[in-house]
Amino acid sequence: MATGGYTGRILRVQLDEGDFKVDKLPQEWIRDYIGGDGFAAKLLYEEVPAGCDPLSSHNKLIMSTGPITGTLWPMSGRTVFVSKAAQTGIWGESHVGGFIGPELKYAGYDMLVIEGQSDKPVYILIEDSNLQILDAGKFWGMKTDEVTAAIKREHADPDIQIAAVGPAGERKVRFSALIINNARAAGRTGMGAVLGAKNVKAIAIRGRGAVEVSDHEAFTELAKAAHMRVRTNPQAQEMGKWGTWILTAVKQEIGELPTYNHRTGVFPGWEKLSGDYIRPRYTVSDRACFGCSLACKKMNYVREGPFAGTLAEGPEYEGLMAFGSGLGIADYPTTLKANEICNQYGMDTISAGATIGFAFEAFENGLITTEDTGGLQLEWGDSQTVIQLLEMMGKREGFGDILAEGSRAAAERLGRGTEKYAIHVKGLEVSGQDGRTHRSIALGHATGARGADHLRSLVVVDQLGYEQVARERWGADKLPEIIDPYTEKHKAVAVVESENAYCIRDTLIVCWYSVSWPPIFWMQDFADMLPLATGEKSFGDVKNLTKIAERQVTLKRLFNAREGITRADDKLPKRFTHEPMPEGPGKGQTVDLEPMLDDYYRLRGWDLDTGLPTEKKIQSLSLGWTKKYASSH
Amino acid sequence: MLITKAFSVQPHASALPEVVWLPSQLTVDYTKCTGCRICELACSAKHEGLFQPSLARLKVIRYDDLGIDIPNVCGPCEEAPCVEVCPVYAMRRDPISKMVFLDHDKCILCKSCVGACVNGVIRLDTREMRIIKCDHCGGDPECAKVCPTGAIQYGPISSGTTFERHSKIASYLREIEHSAETQSSKGGS
Repeated sequence: MATGGYTGRILRVQLDEGDFKVDKLPQEWIRDYIGGDGFAAKLLYEEVPAGCDPLSSHNKLIMSTGPITGTLWPMSGRTVFVSKAAQTGIWGESHVGGFIGPELKYAGYDMLVIEGQSDKPVYILIEDSNLQILDAGKFWGMKTDEVTAAIKREHADPDIQIAAVGPAGERKVRFSALIINNARAAGRTGMGAVLGAKNVKAIAIRGRGAVEVSDHEAFTELAKAAHMRVRTNPQAQEMGKWGTWILTAVKQEIGELPTYNHRTGVFPGWEKLSGDYIRPRYTVSDRACFGCSLACKKMNYVREGPFAGTLAEGPEYEGLMAFGSGLGIADYPTTLKANEICNQYGMDTISAGATIGFAFEAFENGLITTEDTGGLQLEWGDSQTVIQLLEMMGKREGFGDILAEGSRAAAERLGRGTEKYAIHVKGLEVSGQDGRTHRSIALGHATGARGADHLRSLVVVDQLGYEQVARERWGADKLPEIIDPYTEKHKAVAVVESENAYCIRDTLIVCWYSVSWPPIFWMQDFADMLPLATGEKSFGDVKNLTKIAERQVTLKRLFNAREGITRADDKLPKRFTHEPMPEGPGKGQTVDLEPMLDDYYRLRGWDLDTGLPTEKKIQSLSLGWTKKYASSH
Repeated sequence: MLITKAFSVQPHASALPEVVWLPSQLTVDYTKCTGCRICELACSAKHEGLFQPSLARLKVIRYDDLGIDIPNVCGPCEEAPCVEVCPVYAMRRDPISKMVFLDHDKCILCKSCVGACVNGVIRLDTREMRIIKCDHCGGDPECAKVCPTGAIQYGPISSGTTFERHSKIASYLREIEHSAETQSSKGGS
């Protein structure tokens, strides 16, 4: 029985009726799913019918928090948005930092569920128990930073936290995002389009209540000690200085910096996209999300050149990759401007950059011409064209309207063999990794519930060679192969175990940084902390946490299976399996996916032929209830 | 009128506010604050036994458009508006530490201090109907201890800048007094 951490309430916004409803959070959800992703998976499976159109009123947008959201635990200010994905039609989730998750908890709710569809533009105001659906006619068409400022002004409260839909979400751009605090994005899988389709411009939250944990004193002491572990970790300190830009140099060194639409893994102009180069020239301040000791977010200012005057946060490493190396652009201000446009229009940087990369490569190979692009010459390294295309995508103008569908759908529409340049898995564009030079991510990309995902199971231990960590986690007998990025051997073990730990991370919800990289907190740390926070003793057992994680992974898989996903969909773009890495340290490498998939299914207890969870596994994880919802309602 | 008298800095004024030397104070370096609000969490954890930033004795203001975060803490106040404004002498200085404290038994909840605080960190807890004010944790402030960047520090300070800060509110109040006088001379009572 949980006694702390949770508020115990689920807030439902029923747009059809223009009404709110508060449900009790079921105790057995806590026991079986902990929170965050887990709660959302349970609710989405039960309530969103199989086969429904993600942009219809049947789909729901869930915002979920965890038991330690809003507490002193390091980096516990994150929240997750879950929905049937607008971009891929399967499981969709997008985590985001900033301050809105804790604010929802302080307002008194663990989850927010947005149902139905409004017939006119509205925004949702949640101010403790003051709940309103308000007219957003005057805000429609605004960029995310504009609507954020406008709502704060309207209610004369700078502390309101806002998740905003930009012009891209209004126009249902398939990879549109929800933007929080101007520059924090729930970016992937198209959450902006889901909310935009519901005619909701923004969610505005203000909470003045408290989060109470079960054993306040012990929890607070442990949390403070945890903060010190982060602050004294040398890699975490570097991370605070350079943010995720630190990765550019690392990835270049191991030949995994996606360049020219993932054609190669090394980029000659990488230095201009590295932290060493950017920080002294552009960064004006370090910023943090809620309760974070690291402060990996950077505010930057461009003093000269075509983008002079740009003052904006970002981009992350993924943005540097998406608009920098991925498009052959060795110019930081371009990536900052592109990132700013994505934030203002509300678009995912990874998918936006990759979709432009798809168009560039198809153009280079003559499969599309100026006739398709409306006269635009597409050329690697052309900053102005990238900026122009992003605006066109955000507004769905001309050629931008096709690209706004994402690379898979754009390739289907254009035909002519362009699909070979659409680098995606299950419709989601591949993030800034390359399975050829980092074998475990190949498996992660192929099996990720939302498509080519770098956040649910990315193993850094082999990528960056943490020998000691590998020995502790997986045993000396698996060395050296398990930390060798160029072999398939043992990689499923590392992926499954990382995925399990990250599942718990995503139920709490805490940040990637401090769990996934640098590897500071792992399962035992969560097992030590969770009983203090919640009073639920069973969370103190790593075996039980592992089972909860397995349950979550399998439930997401069952959600996708209901939408028709099988082993045949767990595949990679041919680029990774058939085109050897052309240069760099990993020259000649390709991915041999099938043996890793076999290992993965075996470890997960899924059928080797279909890739679906076996009956035995479903029963052992107490997921028998899913049968009731197995077909469409 | 009473309030504005208290802030009058004209040399001939007879009721000059008390100015004291402060042994130790909380100081803030805006360039170091990342806006993480760990200070707010730790403050409410220590004083309220729960995590509730709305009851913290300090407040970080975030400007997302500019990338600036400004922590507002209690003090340094060589002349303390909250003390000057309190009509019942509930807000007083500790004679040794010079820290301003609130005598809850005397407080009549008029909220004058809430409005007078130049940093906006004296608050009204509407649930328990009480004034919340920082006490520097009795000389060992939690916020300075938990701050990850050293943006909030505690110790002896030089006081040059704080007078300037207070002159702002003094001039603001002079303006109110001036307009009040003009209005009354125009034919008020």
